[in-house]
Amino acid sequence: MCLGIPMKILAIDQFMARCEAKGIERDVSLFMLQDEPVEVGDYVVVHVGYAIQKMSEAEAIIAWQVYDEMLSLDEQTQVE
Amino acid sequence: MTEQLNARAWLLKVNELMDSAAAQKKLASKSIKIMNVCGGHERSISMAGIRNTLHPQIELIPGPGCPVCICPEEDIYQAIQLALHEDIILVAFGDMLRVPVNVAKKSIRTLQDARASGADIRPIASPLEARQIALDNPQKQVVFFAAGFETTTAPTAGLIAEGIPDNLLFLLSGRLTWPAVSMLLESGSPGFDALVAPGHVATIMGADEWQFVISQHHLPTAVAGFTTESLLAAFYSVIRQKLDDRLFLDNCYPQLVTNEGNLSAQKQLTKTMDIVDANWRGIGIIPGSGFELKTIYKQHNARIIFPDYAKKARRHIGEMPAGCDCASVVLGKKYPNQCKLYGTVCTPKEPIGPRMVSDEGACRIWWTHGMRDRS
Repeated sequence: MCLGIPMKILAIDQFMARCEAKGIERDVSLFMLQDEPVEVGDYVVVHVGYAIQKMSEAEAIIAWQVYDEMLSLDEQTQVE
Repeated sequence: MTEQLNARAWLLKVNELMDSAAAQKKLASKSIKIMNVCGGHERSISMAGIRNTLHPQIELIPGPGCPVCICPEEDIYQAIQLALHEDIILVAFGDMLRVPVNVAKKSIRTLQDARASGADIRPIASPLEARQIALDNPQKQVVFFAAGFETTTAPTAGLIAEGIPDNLLFLLSGRLTWPAVSMLLESGSPGFDALVAPGHVATIMGADEWQFVISQHHLPTAVAGFTTESLLAAFYSVIRQKLDDRLFLDNCYPQLVTNEGNLSAQKQLTKTMDIVDANWRGIGIIPGSGFELKTIYKQHNARIIFPDYAKKARRHIGEMPAGCDCASVVLGKKYPNQCKLYGTVCTPKEPIGPRMVSDEGACRIWWTHGMRDRS
């Protein structure tokens, strides 16, 4: 439950940001990043709809690979 | 430990260290037991098959790393009863819907059963959805059954701090992870020699929170992320610390984790919630391990608004289903495949114990990743 997914910020409107990860877009709250300025184009780690920390693009790509593997394994075992 | 190596190089490094003459002399054919307290870590370890490739004298123990698994049975019971008997909408993270309570056969055992019998229960993936459902249904009370560790409870605190509609209530089952580790360490038989601390909990609360494991209990500790590299770096660090007798809190996830953590998130937690003694399913009361809404939010506290459903007596009914070893697995005293229900009558499709329900539960993770042999 504590996993965070890296997403790229596409647009910011006050505390809400439109974010994207691998073609999927979501509205994400920036309310917990008030001490850290974020801009469009930044990458953030998103957990249950909230950005919890900034991260670099390179780190985001590595994290996506790990989560892709986890999710594909989960899907394979859904039928069992 | 910020050295950049790939997973294979880290694995070699760890295993060579274990084979070194110094290590063999110090360990004298004993194993080193490393506990993780994060379901995400256990998933990464199992997915990468790390256990099979590590030196045989390294034991990786999955500890109390699943908020769904330790959510008290009486809280789930309360959520089910609220949803069945009050004119409300109950929302909860999807994992919570399948966790069974201990009631007679053919009774309503899960939130999913309650939903099937007509209760308005909706799985959500974010506290933001709880707020939206409350805004869309102003004539109804919406109760958010919010279980989770610090990483998940902080967004709920953020939601409350930002402002919530009058009709949004909370049945809060938030927990802090470090007091559970502290309790294990103070028990006198913790069952592990080193700790890998949870990366996303530390992202919120700061790595420093884990300093006590070293200063008070003299156990090697490293914070890890979720890649194989980060986990192996953490294993290398704690083994090295033990062999060298030079303990320090190592941050093997510096990409996200700082010593002090996310101060904004911590501020919102402090503003909206108190730290209280709290029950952990299968473990019991752990002092200072739970989040509860501050009194100023009492009109949003489902425990206060609907006191009839808080049945403390349920705590004595039997925390885990009969025959289920989830409590021992949560505490790292048994591996999942040492439970006699594992894979026989308890599987992800038809779970009996909470650790087989959640994606973060060690039993489900082991089964999902093909560990089908019974110990």
